[in-house]
Amino acid sequence: MNKIETTLEKVSSDIGSFYKYDQHHFIVMNANDLGDKIEVQWFFHDYADAKNITMFWLQCADTDRIPSINGSVASAWVAESEIADLLGLDIENAIAGFVLEHDSPIAPLRKKKK
Amino acid sequence: MKQQFEIPVGAQHISLLEPLHFKLTTENETIVDADANLYYVHRGIENACVTKFKYRQVPLVVGRVCGLCSVSHGTAAAQVIEKLTKVEIPLRAKYLRMLVIELDRIHSHLLCLAHVAENSGFEALFMQTMRDREYSMELLESVCGNRVQYDYSIVGGVNRDLRPDVAADIKTKLALLKPRVQALHEVFETNWSLSLKNKGVGAISKELAMKLNAVGPLARAAGVPIDVRNETEDLLPWKELGFEMILDTAGDVYARNMVRIKELYVAFRIIDNILNGLPEGDIANISKALPEGEAIVRVEAPRGELMHYARGNKTNVLERLKIKAPTFSNVGAMVEIFKGNQYASAPAIIASYDPCLSCTAR
Amino acid sequence: MFELKKFRKKSPWILHFNAGGCNGCDIEILACLAPKYDIERFGMINTGNPKQSDILLITGPVTKRTRERLVEVYNQMPEPKVVVCCGSCASTGGIFRGMYNIEGGVDQFIPVDVYVAGCACRPEQIIDGVVVALGILEEKTKEIEKTIKLANKPVVEEDGQVNRRNMPAELTYETTV
Repeated sequence: MNKIETTLEKVSSDIGSFYKYDQHHFIVMNANDLGDKIEVQWFFHDYADAKNITMFWLQCADTDRIPSINGSVASAWVAESEIADLLGLDIENAIAGFVLEHDSPIAPLRKKKK
Repeated sequence: MKQQFEIPVGAQHISLLEPLHFKLTTENETIVDADANLYYVHRGIENACVTKFKYRQVPLVVGRVCGLCSVSHGTAAAQVIEKLTKVEIPLRAKYLRMLVIELDRIHSHLLCLAHVAENSGFEALFMQTMRDREYSMELLESVCGNRVQYDYSIVGGVNRDLRPDVAADIKTKLALLKPRVQALHEVFETNWSLSLKNKGVGAISKELAMKLNAVGPLARAAGVPIDVRNETEDLLPWKELGFEMILDTAGDVYARNMVRIKELYVAFRIIDNILNGLPEGDIANISKALPEGEAIVRVEAPRGELMHYARGNKTNVLERLKIKAPTFSNVGAMVEIFKGNQYASAPAIIASYDPCLSCTAR
Repeated sequence: MFELKKFRKKSPWILHFNAGGCNGCDIEILACLAPKYDIERFGMINTGNPKQSDILLITGPVTKRTRERLVEVYNQMPEPKVVVCCGSCASTGGIFRGMYNIEGGVDQFIPVDVYVAGCACRPEQIIDGVVVALGILEEKTKEIEKTIKLANKPVVEEDGQVNRRNMPAELTYETTV
């Protein structure tokens, strides 16, 4: 698995220049709560050699605004809206209330409850 | 501009097994826009796996994500924990896992074909397909002990050995099932009234399927070469058992039916090869190591690529478990395909996606 | 004219609603409709319309997003109606009990008549539960045909007006055949 570190400013351009729709398959976007920081990961694999998995990752504070990659990966909005709801992150263009109801707990996957 | 109407399908509908809501905007009879509300079934299993349950219980809990592909979920969770605890499982356990996954694929594909036939208005074919599906359910019951929730894969192997009489039973029943599947194949391929509802309906091009990152039979029917069984020899050795990828080009409901039926033949061949060359040895390798680090595992479920990501911190409870279900990747394509089709075809199109919302919402 | 109460027992129509389960019990209900178990020999047809159905089959624990739909589907069914819970999660919450988006068993929202255990419940158990539900449906049909009579005489005030304040509380059931 190739791990490529990126930053909040560069992530859109990094993934935009990496992702070719007929060569790479976007698997999923994931985020982990590390306590004081949030780790965000994007997984891709190649169509030609599917064992070759590429992971873009970055670490940021939980209040940072994470840019959307929906401009280059057309179906990323589902994963982004879900992660934004489940971890209470601020992701660009995420649909509010995609997963949770109005009386569900806020950000249930965070260790420290908001 | 013509007048537009919004027609809801769901949350409770005769053609849906699960609560799922599509809002279809129509002009005359043609669908021009679609919107989906998918998370009716969100239960919070990811959170429960990292708080309530120990890591050895996780494969059993994760099996309850979805009743149709519970063995794929259980196997993926077991494999990702084996990667974290660095346990090597016996070859016999790998073969038995593949046997149950392929039997599960037979029952799931036959269920989907039956559902497409019913929603296309062909009730007799639904009944016929469901009757033939009972063979695979009986086999799953004799191998695993339960008809639906198997709990077959545990961390370190499998929890039941294959008895010789059960192996002989599988051979006899599959010999009965094969000619029936061939008969079904002929009906699905040549029946004229079914082709009116299926051919050219709900089509997606290869380019659009790649852009929207579709997986499973939906993508393979459009010609996208994506099948996890093609590449994971280290975890489950599919290729040495005669796996071959089935592709089609049309991308419509008919092509999806054909891909599913042809995958049944591949499953029969893999099961025959497993039974003929089943290695001797233990069925499980239980160790007391604690999970540490992070890992991802991909398994080909009946509906497509399933991914589990886990992270451990040397305690009895995992730190994070992320499940990416096959239908989750197909949501973008599912919404796009509706556009330009007739409203009357919508139930058949929904059934041909084979959507599994309890996987998607977890 | 049809004798409705005679034929209702012979052809109860079922409505299937998934309140958030794992599909395991749903495919077993589908297997019930198929030739091997063949629930149609009891005259049962799976219908998608709540207004035409007599038996409500519910699978899965109630999630926070399906609870309003569940109550709405139940309210749209005409009396008499019987509710059957299929599977342990519909009965109690099962393995999902205590997860953050789960409300619990179905009986927290609507009255339940028959509980079918098992994860997933087998087709034989579902048929058994539905046949028990048929007896309950017959009892409820008899119950509904009883006429309601006022037990107490209305209270007449001093000025000759009838006091209607306590009348709903004084309604009792009397059998008149």
